[in-house]
Amino acid sequence: MENRNRENLRELFEKFFDAEQAESYVEDIQKAEQILRENPAPEPDDMLIANIKAEIAMRLQARRAHHFRRVIYEVAGAAAVILFFATVSLQLFIKDPPGHGEVVYASLIPTAIWESNDIAADDEDLAVYTAQIEQIEDEVQTLQSGDDTSSSDSTIVELEMELIEINGDFWKG
Amino acid sequence: MAKSNDLARIITGCKGGDAKCFSQIVDMYASRCYGYFYRLTGNNDISDELLSELFVKLVEKIGSYKGGSFESWLFKVASNIFHDHLRSKQRRKKLLEVQITEFEFGTIEPKQSDGELTDKLQIQLGRLDEDTRELVMLRFYSQLSFKEIAEKRSEPIGTTLAKTHRALKKLREFMEG
Repeated sequence: MENRNRENLRELFEKFFDAEQAESYVEDIQKAEQILRENPAPEPDDMLIANIKAEIAMRLQARRAHHFRRVIYEVAGAAAVILFFATVSLQLFIKDPPGHGEVVYASLIPTAIWESNDIAADDEDLAVYTAQIEQIEDEVQTLQSGDDTSSSDSTIVELEMELIEINGDFWKG
Repeated sequence: MAKSNDLARIITGCKGGDAKCFSQIVDMYASRCYGYFYRLTGNNDISDELLSELFVKLVEKIGSYKGGSFESWLFKVASNIFHDHLRSKQRRKKLLEVQITEFEFGTIEPKQSDGELTDKLQIQLGRLDEDTRELVMLRFYSQLSFKEIAEKRSEPIGTTLAKTHRALKKLREFMEG
């Protein structure tokens, strides 16, 4: 305890009291502190010190284990997040080519209609094609049922050819 | 300078979780911290507990030490532990409605846990009020400057100086009387 007063006590007291008072106060403090030095407190027991050191070592070990576990959890968590996003990304952005028997609906829509901006004209065309197809279907049904007596094989072939032609025009746009 | 470099090295080791460095800190400060607790409580068993608590807390809190006087920092932690002890004691007192060990208010002679009478200084310290006794002990054991003590107590340095002077003068009179 000898060097505990790193500050200049006299100077410090003189900031608040006159020089004579300050000197007296410093002397009082020094004498009282001398009494404290002459009456030391008991020392801690060696066993206590050993126990404290053992407790500290145990706590440090527990802290290390806890830290290690935390790092593992963090890494595992980060890996799970990355895996999740990778899986989702694969499903969203990578598509397999269609297999046998799968219908690719988009390809059924004629390119010309798909890319056209003139919706009214396209609707009109569709209506005409639809009406023609319906008319031909009716005629085919009539022929097949035998209601039309004037029918012949050549007429059916003719109608079928016409149907194919209309279909071809439709898909060409 | 070499000593402060050594201390800095030890503290760095403590921050890195080195048990040997903590052992060195215990060896360096256990005696003074124990004296501080003992003079405040007058009880060996409580001082043992508080000292253990201090160093265990040190393991948890060493990361929050950001430089400056390590002793000041350590004794601030010690002081907080002592105040926590006082508060828990007050709570116990209220709950049990029993009289607190009157030694801390200086009305009866304190006894050590082994039954021996404590030294004369301890008895006379018991005649000081709690706050004054802590001020004197903090000054004596912690090596805190008056400026640091004043900051810790949130009071002007002149007040701290006057209180310390008054307390030490009174203690001296008790001892000589």
